[in-house]
Amino acid sequence: MTQMEYAKPRSFKELDGIFESAKGPLRFIAGGTNVVPDLRAGTISPRLLVDLSGLKEMAYIREVKGEIAIGALSTISDILASRVICDKAPLLFQAARHLGSPLTRNRATIGGNLADASPAADTAPSLLAMGAMVHTRRRRGKERTIPLDRFFLGPNKTILAKDEIITRITFAKPKDPSRGRYLKLGLRNAMTISVASLAVSLEPEGSSFGGARIGLGAVAPTPVRAYLVEKKLASGAMDPKNIEACAQLITKEISPISDIRASADYRKRVVAVLFQRAIQAAVNGGTP
Amino acid sequence: MVRKTYSTIGRTTRRKDGVSKVTGREIFASDVVLPQMLHARVLRSPYPHARVVSIATAEAEAMGAVCLTPSDCPAWLYNERQVSIPEKTYRDRTVLPETARHVGEGIAAVAAKTEALAEQALGQLAVTYEPLPSVFDPWEAMAPEAPRLYKDIFLGDVVLPIERNIACFREMREGEVEQGFRESDVVVEQEFRTGRVYHHQMETKGVVCRPEPDGGISVWPTAQSIHNVRQLLGRIFNIPLSKINVHRIPIGGSFGSSIQMNTCIAICAALALKAGRPVRLVLTREEDLYDHCKYPSLIRLKFGVKKDGAIVAGEMTTVVDIGAHNIQAYPLLGCMAGWFVSLYRMPHMHFQGTAVYTNKAPACAMQGYGNPQVSFAVESLIDVIAERLNMDPIDVRLKNYVGLGETFWGQGPTVRSVIRSCGVEEMLQKGKDLIGWESRNRPEARSGRFRRGIGVGRSFHTSGTGAPMSGEVIDYSTALVKFNEDGSVDCLTPLMCHGGGTLEALTKIVSEETGVPLSKVEISPADTRSTGYDVCTHATRGVYCGGASARRAAQQARGILLQFASRILEVNPEALKIRPDEDLGQGVIYLEGAKGKSITVGEVAKTAQIKSWGTAIAVVSHRQVNCPPCFVTNFIEVEVDTETGRIRPVRAVAAVDAGTVINPDLAAGQLEGGLCRGIGLALLEDTDYDPRSGALTCGGNITDCKIFTALEMPLTEDVATFFAETEEPSGPFGAKGVGEAANNCTAGAVANAVANALGLRFTDAPMLPEKVLARWTDYLREKRGA
Repeated sequence: MTQMEYAKPRSFKELDGIFESAKGPLRFIAGGTNVVPDLRAGTISPRLLVDLSGLKEMAYIREVKGEIAIGALSTISDILASRVICDKAPLLFQAARHLGSPLTRNRATIGGNLADASPAADTAPSLLAMGAMVHTRRRRGKERTIPLDRFFLGPNKTILAKDEIITRITFAKPKDPSRGRYLKLGLRNAMTISVASLAVSLEPEGSSFGGARIGLGAVAPTPVRAYLVEKKLASGAMDPKNIEACAQLITKEISPISDIRASADYRKRVVAVLFQRAIQAAVNGGTP
Repeated sequence: MVRKTYSTIGRTTRRKDGVSKVTGREIFASDVVLPQMLHARVLRSPYPHARVVSIATAEAEAMGAVCLTPSDCPAWLYNERQVSIPEKTYRDRTVLPETARHVGEGIAAVAAKTEALAEQALGQLAVTYEPLPSVFDPWEAMAPEAPRLYKDIFLGDVVLPIERNIACFREMREGEVEQGFRESDVVVEQEFRTGRVYHHQMETKGVVCRPEPDGGISVWPTAQSIHNVRQLLGRIFNIPLSKINVHRIPIGGSFGSSIQMNTCIAICAALALKAGRPVRLVLTREEDLYDHCKYPSLIRLKFGVKKDGAIVAGEMTTVVDIGAHNIQAYPLLGCMAGWFVSLYRMPHMHFQGTAVYTNKAPACAMQGYGNPQVSFAVESLIDVIAERLNMDPIDVRLKNYVGLGETFWGQGPTVRSVIRSCGVEEMLQKGKDLIGWESRNRPEARSGRFRRGIGVGRSFHTSGTGAPMSGEVIDYSTALVKFNEDGSVDCLTPLMCHGGGTLEALTKIVSEETGVPLSKVEISPADTRSTGYDVCTHATRGVYCGGASARRAAQQARGILLQFASRILEVNPEALKIRPDEDLGQGVIYLEGAKGKSITVGEVAKTAQIKSWGTAIAVVSHRQVNCPPCFVTNFIEVEVDTETGRIRPVRAVAAVDAGTVINPDLAAGQLEGGLCRGIGLALLEDTDYDPRSGALTCGGNITDCKIFTALEMPLTEDVATFFAETEEPSGPFGAKGVGEAANNCTAGAVANAVANALGLRFTDAPMLPEKVLARWTDYLREKRGA
């Protein structure tokens, strides 16, 4: 580990000051559950580490006018303890429950989970399936809002500029929270990185799937939406035949890699399985 | 059989070290802080095979760091494991090598005022390497043109040339195996593999060394044998043993990873001697993962049987990829032969084992020492025999198992003894009922996505390595027991507790023998200067061998105490007895049937002190002349998800024949822990290498080197543990071991359960979901095609 400077701003103003005086590459840190291992492994070597955990105003979870907003510094444990998330966005609750261990969840933040841009980021599929937006802030208060499906550019790469931080994540309150299901497959039941993960969110209209949204993890260079499948689902009937056809299609829509955890072929096979189970559960409004 | 009743043995009691452990007050090696202490870091080779041409230390030294390079270290070759006799000890390494033979091998070290400074100084060491060709596959390594790891090493004091990277080879025969196969009605043969499992002990290896003004050294290491650490340091650094003091310090788990003197101890000692100050060296998890692993196995196994299921002949051929150093491959091969022949009778046998060097982290003993690997193969093939003969798998086992009165040599050909206690049949029968064996269906009867199956596996481990004659492996223990002036008792032993309650068991044995309540018996802090020799807490020998020496010391001290008491009570000492009185918190010495003729142990000890009669104290050095097997049996039910290939253990029965059980809850805990690691061996655990870089594919991180947790185990209410009702005549109060036995039969039971679920047998562990799904798909395709 090389030597580096450390700064912990207490306000956006202080953060702007740090930007003005920073020399060389800087790196943001919040919970540190990704950054610290990366530093130890030497895969990153910033000159300056900017600790965002002092920006207390970014830790909140609230519902305003049919929209749920989660401050970027909310920890995964905060999300699990939130009545709002538990009742109104259980799809995110399910994903949060599968992230790491209690120790990790107590430190890791939702902003960090997205900013790290791991293809296997646990909260990403659910947030994608709920059509989440990422709100950011750049130097001197310049803000923008980015749909999550345009946020990730590649493994550990996002659209964020060097001086840009995530301030909050928002999404419309799901119409029927019970119509969402997150499933994760790893080599064990907890404290494991996904071999594949999938979230579906349905808004059935009569006998059709209506506005179905599907988020996928660990099966492409970034967490992705399965747009072709969503379209096919919506255009067909809510029946086993359509689900089966979509399960076939989903293996074509993804581009998984082979790595230490699984081969591309295995990922394709199990994504189809996860998809069928998740859809079934979402249709039933309960467990698979 | 009717069990004897004891006052302390077999009672569930609160663990003596429980409070310090759960409150975080226990001091482990990494917690030791000494004045003026420096912190060390080790520079590790990024190459799997490279000559270290030069190491420039000037810049690191300019930062105030003390640097250690190969030229600072004694040239003497050592083997970190000191359990075998010297003539059977293969010596191939130095404190720091001039040639790195695996990625992660330490080649230089620094010590500085802080760990951060040491880390920075490490970055300033300028090393010139000359990369050498490397080899990772044992078969390729044996090819004549393969890169050679060693030209020669030492076996004892004799130079041993190494040809084709073969570290050692062993062959054993009994009877005429070819004739045996000719006489057989059915011959079955298969190849089995198990993974290169990492020990995953919770505490990474660490040590603190303090050089002493008299030229000696004090050491606080993670170790399973403080005496072997002392002997080896004495030999490497040429220091009289009387000036080396190695302290016993609690260890955060071992699974066998510290049987040997960890190599970081020699590096740290060299640094401390050079620096003239105490030095602390604690490995990171990444370093630890590159330091050791379980012996992987590649076993070709063949059995010939008669139509009635009687085994006539058995043949096992194994190639063991030992990695870059030969820590204990020679005894391992002897033991693998022993595990093989001692499970089932076979009039004709042949064993061939080859251990091969490769450029990987060295393999060493891990819970079972080749036994889980061998039992996985044997127990799988026994089920294949049952299938071929259309017999119940349990009947094949009952027909052939080596049991009461039979000779067995589990720990290798020089460790032979006769079995005098055996709960094999009892465990099979009772386990069968508990799991519901009779309801077990054939795989053809199943359909649907989830397929369940039940499997049985049995095995054993030896309790220690004792035998009537001394052989290739050293085995004895020393213990001291003394009565204190208030009636409490101190027990001093160099034995180690790895978490399973070995020292706890010793307090119970001493309490039972002395008649002093358990609350007044304690284990003293131990170091090498104040204790007699004990070989090592390994080989499931803690209670059986270490406990036996403690019991004998307690017996002798008790005899002295009763002599003192006889003077006071005016009763012949032979007539006196001692019973514990929990209310008094004292042992009470009494003459049966005579009121008034009684006195507490404390009063006697105090009187003996005041009157200057002396202390009731005894030291005993004792070798067990037996090596009784502690048998184990697992019944496991699994559920296979045929859509994802995931295998989930859903129910399990784990039983051990440990003779008299000293700590029932801890022994049950060992069975559950063994079950967990055994299931891991079957389904998950392995380490793999990238043949281009020679690095671990997990990068040394446990992120991608997992073990199962409670979440992957069957629910608590779905796991049953029980103990066979036996008593071992040669054990302390009838006790045998548990430790390693607990995981030896599990992988075989899992493989048999999976075969019962699917009709498809996996012979290569770990059975990862992806592999299961691929084979299942092929199997269905073939079935449809046929």
